Amino acid sequence: MELFRFSRNVWGQEILQGMSWELLPIFFGAGVAFVIGHMLYRWLLAPKQK
Amino acid sequence: MGVEEPHGRGPRAAERLIRHTLTDRLFHWGTAVSILILLGTAFLPILGWEFPWVGVHWITGILLTVLVIFHAVRASFWQDLRSMWVGLDDLRSGVDLVRWTLRLAEAPPGLSGKYSLAQKLIHHLFTLVIIVTIGTGCLMLVKIDTPWWERDPYWLAEGTWGVIYVLHDLAALLLITMLIAHVYFALRPEKLHFTRSMILGWITRSEYEKHHDPGRWRLDTE
Repeated sequence: MELFRFSRNVWGQEILQGMSWELLPIFFGAGVAFVIGHMLYRWLLAPKQK
Repeated sequence: MGVEEPHGRGPRAAERLIRHTLTDRLFHWGTAVSILILLGTAFLPILGWEFPWVGVHWITGILLTVLVIFHAVRASFWQDLRSMWVGLDDLRSGVDLVRWTLRLAEAPPGLSGKYSLAQKLIHHLFTLVIIVTIGTGCLMLVKIDTPWWERDPYWLAEGTWGVIYVLHDLAALLLITMLIAHVYFALRPEKLHFTRSMILGWITRSEYEKHHDPGRWRLDTE
């Protein structure tokens, strides 16, 4: 998986174009994983308010 | 506005107390809609939904910039900045929360002020990430034609533009993760009164007394 996007300019030099869009599902998945992880934590492990 | 009912069960328990004024709610939802439009116009074309996104994207970006400047000025001069400041009490509450979570302490952490430590931290993280998107996005405006100027792609060196794109992209990607977490907490049952207050403006006195320390958030301070 690439972290960055590159292209070439008119002189053939490699130039940075930004973050790789392959990371899009990673960041979306991180959000979903956080939600699931927190829900499981609250359901199974978190101390209960008295 | 004073606080007289110690346990929030008296006849005034259902009394409505203002948590967010109309101006603050309009700012919040204006920002939310702007960010959703910006994320949609940024990422839907990447996912294959082709449409002319550039115009909507930069115009919405300018709207978001205006909203953020408005909020920064309003919060600095007309509101209590300290309500969002992370102070020693917040850090103590954070330590207490960790100790309670790890079952090293029996008592849950004390009540928060207007905003909990978690709310302050997510606010500051959103602030940082949105400022990065706005700052880099405003620089990128130089590279498109607008009613006010013609594009100048050579204004900065190629390498510098590359760094600006990376920062803009990274901030946008982070916003996706943060937005999911933000919406999740807004929909959690124990947080619904916060969400309602961001829609309708109020919490009940009972909720105020259950979740907030009157010594740290006096309702007559805002």
